[in-house]
Amino acid sequence: MLELNNQYTLMKRRIDTDVLRLFFDDRLEADADKLPFLIIPKDRIPNRCCIYKERAMVRYRIMALLGIDIERFDDEMKPLAEYVQEIMDEDPPAVPVLTTIITGCSGCPQDQYRISDACRGCFARPCLANCPKDAIVFINGQAHILEDRCIRCGKCMEVCPFHAVVHIPVPCEDACPVGAVKKNEQGFVEIDHKMCISCGKCARSCPFGAIVERSGLMPVAKMLKNGEKVTAMVAPAIEGQFPGSLAQIKAALLKLGFTDVVEVAEGAEVTSIHEAEEVVERKEQGKGYMTTSCCPAYMELINKHLPFLKERHSTALTPMAYTAKLCKERDPQSRRVFIGPCLAKRVEAARTPEVDGVINFSELAALFIARDIDVREMEAVDLGDTSSFSDCREFACSTGVAGCVLHRVSQEDIRTLPVNGLDKKSVRLMKTWERKAPDADLVEVMCCEGGCIAGPGTIVKPALAMRLRSGSGIPAGKVAASVLGGRPAAGGSTPASKMPSKS
Amino acid sequence: MNKKKKVEVKICVGTACFVQGGADLLLYNDFLDPEVLSGCEIEGSSCLDSCKNAKAEVADVDSKPPFVSINGKIYGSVNQDRFCKLLEEAVNA
Repeated sequence: MLELNNQYTLMKRRIDTDVLRLFFDDRLEADADKLPFLIIPKDRIPNRCCIYKERAMVRYRIMALLGIDIERFDDEMKPLAEYVQEIMDEDPPAVPVLTTIITGCSGCPQDQYRISDACRGCFARPCLANCPKDAIVFINGQAHILEDRCIRCGKCMEVCPFHAVVHIPVPCEDACPVGAVKKNEQGFVEIDHKMCISCGKCARSCPFGAIVERSGLMPVAKMLKNGEKVTAMVAPAIEGQFPGSLAQIKAALLKLGFTDVVEVAEGAEVTSIHEAEEVVERKEQGKGYMTTSCCPAYMELINKHLPFLKERHSTALTPMAYTAKLCKERDPQSRRVFIGPCLAKRVEAARTPEVDGVINFSELAALFIARDIDVREMEAVDLGDTSSFSDCREFACSTGVAGCVLHRVSQEDIRTLPVNGLDKKSVRLMKTWERKAPDADLVEVMCCEGGCIAGPGTIVKPALAMRLRSGSGIPAGKVAASVLGGRPAAGGSTPASKMPSKS
Repeated sequence: MNKKKKVEVKICVGTACFVQGGADLLLYNDFLDPEVLSGCEIEGSSCLDSCKNAKAEVADVDSKPPFVSINGKIYGSVNQDRFCKLLEEAVNA
């Protein structure tokens, strides 16, 4: 998986922000077709083959942001303005969440191991000795791999003392836990939507940006612009994603135009109470293990690949679903938007009538910047009474869900097993559970390694997010930063909780 | 030996800088040379106003977030790599 911050994600955020700026200025339809030229100016040194391809890719990115299914509805003759008009009239359907930009695909050669010039042709030759298929031969004193024999096990790479063996993967295929990303006949990327669990790992892995999420941002931006009543339901992972406390993030959301802000941790409490009862009941009746049900990519995995787990996962609804129900009870008129780190959540939301929209943290950041809202400068607002569910903010981290459930169980002998991240290996392991049950009562499954704080829609790296969540991370100076001829610092008016002395 | 004054470093953590890569700079404990680190006084600062204010005195020509101020001078488009180089120069100056 690519590092979270790279040229591509930064470009993506820039495009999101520019599109939103135009949208809120009522100029999107008029100026959308100018954007690729403004973002990729003539004098730019291109990262792709030329600026013209870069512009074409910016155009596709804008289409993805508008929610267009590029795979099916790409019309190069059609100006962006027409696409804008269409989505202003009617919101595009939410699923499938992922789509591909064939022209962006580099058509990476098949996954392979190759021996580089660093091979010294040593005497011990551990590659030769450890290859299970006799695929290594020595030619002119250097090792070579016989392609037709190689099974790509990687043993030679592990044992070479000179690191002379390189693995050249196909990043998207490598990242997909279920083998849904394939090549078409021309050798370019294709997603098998019948198999895809919408985890977004392929989109995050492609260094060319050829797999993209069809965003759900514009329907939400429309609600905000039209001044509709909208409740923001923020996922527990939001803490640590912005340079400010939860109270400041809430204030920023209200300034953005949301009429109310509700923590999904509140629904997570209902989920964990429900799961706590269920796991105890199952244990008493000797029914065997139960898995969590809050990760939507995992639920897709069950539906599409591991149907035997349908009897195993908890019947509790997800925190988002409970929260949406709570919000609907409190204010039936208001619409409800989920703000989270997750891509698969949009699949779940499409099946949950109480949820009217889903955006991710990265898109929320673009909204903030487009509206000139600085989270750090916000005056903290009251979060209300969070005492009963504040521990459920840990739902965002691996082992956090199981922890919250155990916290609500009186028995002490509940054995837990975390599945921290879905990949080919863990999926293979889970397949074996059909025959041999795991040695646990509660299995917590999270698709993203580390939990939701490592989700595809996040802004900061999990390591930093954890630090910001614990209150350290942003170093405060001796003087509460009054800045270089600038405005007075936020220090005076905001709570110091997120700005402790140097960590 | 007279003690050298520490280099004053301000990392902008305004939302724009933070999401455009400024957050990465906050991991300086992990990537900065400890020797350079010991010569710096680093703090997170509110918006340095360089993104909004086109007239701001910015040291670079093509400057985008994230911004960092080093001894009062503002630098733009600072990534981890550039951060290291800039601080090294400032400490050894």
